[in-house]
Amino acid sequence: MKPLLEVSDLRVDIGGVNIVDGMSFELQAGQVFGLAGESGSGKTMTALSLLGLLPGGARTSGRAMLDGVDLLTLDASAMRKVRGRKVAMVFQDPTSTLHPMLSIEHQLTEHLRYHLGMARGDARRRAVDLLTQVRIPNPDAALRGYPHQFSGGMRQRIQIAMALACEPRLLIADEPTTALDVTVQAGILRLLDRLRRETGLAVMLITHDLGVMSAVADRVTVMYAGRIVEEGPTADVLRRARHPYTRGLLDSLPHPDAGDVPLVPISGTPPSPAERPSGCAFHPRCRYALDRCRAEVPPLIALAPQRAMACPVDPLVPVLVA
Amino acid sequence: MLRTAPSGISISQPSARTNRLIRAIVRARTRHPLLFFIGRRLVALVLLGVGVTAIAFVLTHLVPGDPAEANLGQRAGSDPVAVQIFRERYGLDKPLPQQYVIYLGKLVQGDMGESEQSRRPVRADLAEYIPATAELALTSIVLSGVLGVGLGVLAALQQNKLTDQVLRVVSLGGMSMPSFWLALVSLYVFFYQLSWVPGSGRLDPVVSRPPAVTGMFTIDALLSGRIDTLANALQHLILPACVLAAFNMGLFTRFTRSAVLEVLGNDYVRTARAKGLPEHAVILGHVLRAASPPVVTVIGLAFGNVMTGTVLVENIFSWPGIGQYSFRSATTLDLPAIVGVMLFVALVYILANMVVDVLYGVIDPRVRLT
Amino acid sequence: MRLRLPFMRSIPTAWLQPLTIVGLTLAGVWLVLAVLAPWVAPYDPLAQDAPLYLPPSAAHPFGTDDIGRDVLSRVIWGARVSIPLAFLLVSLAFLIGGTLGALAAYLGGWVDELVMRAADLVFAIPTILLAMAVVAALGPGLVHAVMAVIVVSWPGHARVVRSLVRTTMQSDYVAVARLLGASAVRALIVDVLPNVAGPVIVLAALDLGTAILLLSGLSFLGLGAKPPAAEWGSMVSTGAQHFESWWIGVFPGLAIVSVVLAFNFLGDSLRDIFDPQSVTERARGA
Repeated sequence: MKPLLEVSDLRVDIGGVNIVDGMSFELQAGQVFGLAGESGSGKTMTALSLLGLLPGGARTSGRAMLDGVDLLTLDASAMRKVRGRKVAMVFQDPTSTLHPMLSIEHQLTEHLRYHLGMARGDARRRAVDLLTQVRIPNPDAALRGYPHQFSGGMRQRIQIAMALACEPRLLIADEPTTALDVTVQAGILRLLDRLRRETGLAVMLITHDLGVMSAVADRVTVMYAGRIVEEGPTADVLRRARHPYTRGLLDSLPHPDAGDVPLVPISGTPPSPAERPSGCAFHPRCRYALDRCRAEVPPLIALAPQRAMACPVDPLVPVLVA
Repeated sequence: MLRTAPSGISISQPSARTNRLIRAIVRARTRHPLLFFIGRRLVALVLLGVGVTAIAFVLTHLVPGDPAEANLGQRAGSDPVAVQIFRERYGLDKPLPQQYVIYLGKLVQGDMGESEQSRRPVRADLAEYIPATAELALTSIVLSGVLGVGLGVLAALQQNKLTDQVLRVVSLGGMSMPSFWLALVSLYVFFYQLSWVPGSGRLDPVVSRPPAVTGMFTIDALLSGRIDTLANALQHLILPACVLAAFNMGLFTRFTRSAVLEVLGNDYVRTARAKGLPEHAVILGHVLRAASPPVVTVIGLAFGNVMTGTVLVENIFSWPGIGQYSFRSATTLDLPAIVGVMLFVALVYILANMVVDVLYGVIDPRVRLT
Repeated sequence: MRLRLPFMRSIPTAWLQPLTIVGLTLAGVWLVLAVLAPWVAPYDPLAQDAPLYLPPSAAHPFGTDDIGRDVLSRVIWGARVSIPLAFLLVSLAFLIGGTLGALAAYLGGWVDELVMRAADLVFAIPTILLAMAVVAALGPGLVHAVMAVIVVSWPGHARVVRSLVRTTMQSDYVAVARLLGASAVRALIVDVLPNVAGPVIVLAALDLGTAILLLSGLSFLGLGAKPPAAEWGSMVSTGAQHFESWWIGVFPGLAIVSVVLAFNFLGDSLRDIFDPQSVTERARGA
């Protein structure tokens, strides 16, 4: 099946510093594509570059093909037609991403009327439908309300409803549950899952939380310092991780079956984009590092169809914790 | 009924009746928040008024200056009989606290006494001079508001670029110029050299005043369809209004700029863009809306600046308004007139504050609904 | 060149440099002129031997006034009046207002109420009105004018200091310091004051300009400096009476503009370094 979004060799530089270094990936409709990585790995910048929302002074290269159009080459007015309409984004903190002084109805319908030219009444009805879809109780009353009157979880649902208003093909969700309570998280994730099953929506789920990934993502791509280090079906990546960084991430998570095996954190800290190490960016923290790891950037090796990782170390090194 | 708290201190338990009263007040307050709000403001107004009268009273009686001598001039002032008559007439021979109480009593009835200078009720003086100043002040606030806010938004959007730097200098310049000097310079250039505008007053001597509705010549002329009177009044109005607007324009530009910059960094602006909204909708509908509370506050405060400015500007343009009146009253220690002016100004201050508060509630639902 | 103190945010140097430099230079020039006036001014400011109403020329670059005094010399000497008085004024207003504000914030309760109501009262009356009344009551003269302006300015300082002290007192690190055993006074000095200093310095710099404007305004109205003193405001007033000889009023006014502008530039640049939030707080009367 032809992919919905094909990104080839995406590079993002901000102020002369390289943030994203040659990302290539594909998204299918109806799929939840997980982008995992710590802060500073470039995952948010990857997403923002697709929507042209990078800070001023950012330069991009590469291609991002959506429906035969390269998103990276669109001018401002063409980009505005894509945003909210073909590709929508949901951000991390629902408190600050909703305008505190505009009613819910206004925030749900303004881009509906701009993109689709809907009349006020129709837009309002659609807003009610959207709120029902995201399971906000009492949608009519909710429309008259303001963000501060809702809880964090409800605000996130409202944000999702807002993103879905114009029926986009792709929804990018950047840390959608990080600012929420654990109990509320599950509800949001279930919602995303249901939406993509019901409507064929493609979701790019960006998060550092591997637990969230395992709950809802079909595929996971792990990023480190602006590059892909491992990718594949979620279950495979998380249970049979091959790249030392991914394995390090998993080893440092508490596991109910691990018994008395101590948690093993990854030593050191992720590099800031300006101080990215030569060769493989992970080599200073990697216990398997070889000389060549310092010298050259390891290419992405295909282990199987749809499964790859970027490390020259023997992929059959046994996994330490199941 | 006394109860003793564990620490041994006795607390008196409020009676059941007081409790009921308190509960009733709280209930009424939650049911009619707006009324209580206005009510509180009115109480503040009264208290402020009392405070103002007290200050004026103290000031004019504190000191070496003798109102009788100041008003009667040199010859009459040295005649003890004339001075005595003057004193008796204005009640200056009674003890101070008594004078104050008498004054307050009359005030409640709307009688602000007679001006020692003009021999007229202060109320009449105020009624004559207030519209002139109102016309000037409102025009200048509208001018400075529209220009200031517009330029402030521009400066914020062009942050750190040349436009921004230039606007910064211009706005600081506007705030650095003494209004009396600016008035003189502009009069010299536009009246004396270029003859674009008349030099003083509100209307040319040959033009008759329009029938009084508001007392503001421009509006009255418009209402009665006298277009040439309107034109003449506008000609007289434009220069003093601009001079008066200079300071506030600079102030509003600075304030709007920083308010907008503050907002531009917020996430909801990014969300608005991510929805694909056109830039003008983002700026007007989202950014300006969020930036308006501090701007509204400053515009409210600007009324105070304008009142200060009118004293100097009216002086130079011979504009017969409250500014000139207050100057005359202050320098002759005309107590009723001084207090009258101060009360009027305090009223304007409170009203402006109230309008600002209400606007806050309209703009920001968080204020309104909590 | 970037200083890092706890209350600073780093700012893009492009924004800082030109304006601060201009402000510093202008202020510096005027300070030098004020100090060196007796040696720099070409003529005695009180000498009336030049021809009357001379337009600007080589001998008298700013012309002469209505009784034959050299305007340039009077403008230079005027700096000796306005600038030191402005500094004195702002210092006193800050001392009085700042102390009252700090006390109000620290002690709270009725002290707070009292100070804030008094401040409100002063705010409700337009500055010049109150100043005029004070001067009229005390009699004209520069000293009384200064006192009047102090009466009018202290609430601004009081409010800013009060809101700053309150915010700092509520902040976590003060609480931690207290928990760790620091006495209240020590906490006040070590933790609160450095945070208060920044915005207060900004306010003081801006107030210098306001003070000069107010002082010269009062003098213009005849309530401040008495003739024949060379004070800029009263010089502009003379200029207003002799309209055609524009140089009599324009140059002193330009002097006022340049000094106030210098202080405003400085204050504005300083505000970029210290937290700009203080402006919004002050406006709302927090």
